[in-house]
Amino acid sequence: MNGISPLAYVPRRATLQSAGLGPVALFLGAYLLVCFFSSDPLVLAAATTGAAIAGYGCGAARAVRFSLRLGFALAAALIVINGLVTSRGSTVLLRLGEWPILGRVDVTLEALAAGAVIGLRAIGTMVVIGVWSACVDPDRMLRAVSGVARRSALTATLISRLVPLAATDYARLGEAAGLRGPGAAPVGRAAMANRLLAGSLDRAVDVAATLELRGYGQGKDAPARDEHRARSRFDRRFLVAGVVLMAAALAALVTGTGSLTTYPTIDYSPGPLSFGIAAMFAAGGFVTWRRGGWKGRRGDGR
Amino acid sequence: MAVEPTLTLSGVSYRYAAGTTPSLTAISASIDPGEFVVLAGRSGSGKSSLLRACCGLVPHFHGGEFEGSVTVGGRDTRESGPGELADVVGYVAQDPETQVVSTTVAAELELPLRFRGDRAAARARAVEEVALALNIPHLLGRTVATLSGGEMQRVALAVALVTRPPLILLDEPTSQLDPVAGDELIWLLRRLNEEWGVAVLLAEHRLERCLAAADRVIAMDGGRIAFDGPPRQFLEYAVAQDPALATPAARMFSLAGIDPLPVGVRDARATLRVRGVTPDPSAAPDADVRKTPDRNGRALNCRNLWVELDPGDGPVDVLRGIDLEIDPGETVALMGRNGAGKSTLLRAAAGLIEPVAGSVTARGGMALLTQNPGDFLVRDRVGDELSGREAEAAMAAVGLDLPPDADPRDLSGGERQRLALAIALAGRMSGEALPDLVALDEPTRGMDRGLKDGLTGLARELAGRGATVLISTHDVEFAANFADRVVLLGDGELIADAPAAEVLSGGWYFASEVARVLNLPGLTGVEAGARMLGGGSGRPAADRHGPEPAP
Repeated sequence: MNGISPLAYVPRRATLQSAGLGPVALFLGAYLLVCFFSSDPLVLAAATTGAAIAGYGCGAARAVRFSLRLGFALAAALIVINGLVTSRGSTVLLRLGEWPILGRVDVTLEALAAGAVIGLRAIGTMVVIGVWSACVDPDRMLRAVSGVARRSALTATLISRLVPLAATDYARLGEAAGLRGPGAAPVGRAAMANRLLAGSLDRAVDVAATLELRGYGQGKDAPARDEHRARSRFDRRFLVAGVVLMAAALAALVTGTGSLTTYPTIDYSPGPLSFGIAAMFAAGGFVTWRRGGWKGRRGDGR
Repeated sequence: MAVEPTLTLSGVSYRYAAGTTPSLTAISASIDPGEFVVLAGRSGSGKSSLLRACCGLVPHFHGGEFEGSVTVGGRDTRESGPGELADVVGYVAQDPETQVVSTTVAAELELPLRFRGDRAAARARAVEEVALALNIPHLLGRTVATLSGGEMQRVALAVALVTRPPLILLDEPTSQLDPVAGDELIWLLRRLNEEWGVAVLLAEHRLERCLAAADRVIAMDGGRIAFDGPPRQFLEYAVAQDPALATPAARMFSLAGIDPLPVGVRDARATLRVRGVTPDPSAAPDADVRKTPDRNGRALNCRNLWVELDPGDGPVDVLRGIDLEIDPGETVALMGRNGAGKSTLLRAAAGLIEPVAGSVTARGGMALLTQNPGDFLVRDRVGDELSGREAEAAMAAVGLDLPPDADPRDLSGGERQRLALAIALAGRMSGEALPDLVALDEPTRGMDRGLKDGLTGLARELAGRGATVLISTHDVEFAANFADRVVLLGDGELIADAPAAEVLSGGWYFASEVARVLNLPGLTGVEAGARMLGGGSGRPAADRHGPEPAP
């Protein structure tokens, strides 16, 4: 029984999964935009919270938890690295003397704060991508772009299939390596990589043969726009929420409201606009929620 | 007016680009619309190559030298590649994992229709129809990564059928399925064959599963057609010419001198009824049912073993309170449906998984060979995998004597398996003494009976030297041959643990063909069955005469 990646798409009859690709892209795109570009800690924290609430609302709790863990680990690393490599800032917390390559290392409060903002961006971005990955059908997404980039879409489809297979093969080979008797030659990294590569090539050949057998390459492909999709009553909800949040995100970025200045000293004074945008992004997460909450059903949606 | 065959092969010979000998030689045969044909033959006899020639993969995809012609649905494969043949022939390979390219089942079913240029409404209807026909509408919304082996094989079959081709080719589709899922798949094929009129060409090793559903059998030997005719005549041919291809019931009848040889359990019972043959229980061997001995669990000891795994949608208890003791020198078959927890039990015993409760210990050491022996072979020379005194002892223990320069990829399937087992054993032996427990996980997948007999011999040899041999398997006939004891798991729980003859004669799915024919407690083997039917002389079928049974 193989474990499935927490970020893998799982079909559900939840709101995000059943809504159209456009409205969902607009809705999550607003979160991604603000997480990627904003320097306002309040808005970043609110957008991260909102994205997590959105994920929980549509059954992607596992993806949210995994993304948060990954994001916090990355954020911690960013804070430490920024603290060590940036000596700007006037509030010195630690003097660590001369280090090879880095030179004189002074850890300042400002450098740590700057690292924390970058870390907050990383956490938010991870959560949004995690929710997208777990809730948006990759086949549908690739079909949507196949009209403009058919080969790229197919390549992406194959990669999305082959990467998990390679991961499974790697896990299996690792298990077999652990089961070798102590008297057999140990499996070094080179031998393992070589074997994995050979296995992946075999897999790729199998997939290529499968595509041939399915009729790929006849030049008669159905047009990408000719798509049957079960109707969703949530399209309008995500469209409206997406437009509002996108406007708020653009307003935050254009006005630069609430931006944190870290050097030489920390200067942060969020105004009403910051609080307003933060409230919108935090509350926006509830758009994915159904009345009564999501009933955790799996494998019943299309 | 004569009906045009769905498939015609005329003088087909083929050699793979890297092959030194031809894989197919002078093959001529045809399949009529709606025929159900079983393709029999030992491993390496050319079955898969023949199927690949029928769908155009040979020579278009594999290259090589090709002679003769193959016509499918009126199209010559020399002029039409596999893609152009997609709407006249469907192909299902042995490993369903290699046949899926999409994320969800619905998208996978839609793919051939999309490539064919069907409109959305037509695609939706075709997907719905094929899902209903194969009883998989509940799977449409699932991702392929969450499917079990049986579900995946059904989906692969649905994909092959979604364009409604007149011919479908299947390459050992039941090799990874448990007896229940395997039987379901065969009868599903028969139903589709009867209701949809699809011609079926099915390559299969476990012939006892499918002969009863077949109209005709083609037997391959060394790349040539050695036999082409009805199932009953095929069994006569197999008993006389190539006993490894004969079904257990046919071998039992042949040994007992009963004619005609039976095509399946129902046919065997009908023949016995018509001939007035009743089994003589007094001829039952004493060894078939034995008293369960007191055990000390020195080889394997499980106490209230609980194992939890997360398949992707939350943790589940895969093993639930297993209590099991196995002693050195036993030969034990671990059986159960796909997902029953067999592999998990072996992996927990080998220390690859931590139990959440209870304990599992293999005090006298354990060597485990996982499902794919190729995973143990990572280098180009046998000498680079194994060298030194411990390696020599391990090679000797599995009966291998290979030159150090031999390339593991050039070895036969059986040799590769033995080499992988030697790698698992190396350094775990004390001198020439084996570890107390040697476990193999599903080692018989894709093996013909000859190779399985070789594996049975190896298992008995290892047990004779004091090791417990624990093999997880779906193959009831193999288990009946090799094991003294059968442990049956169901949904993570131990539901039967008794002598093999008792377990494999007391059910329907987990029962040997002989047991299903005779339906006598404790009787599973061919020879014992033949003795009970008053035979055992082993006279060849050609020497015998008997009345035809009533239909």
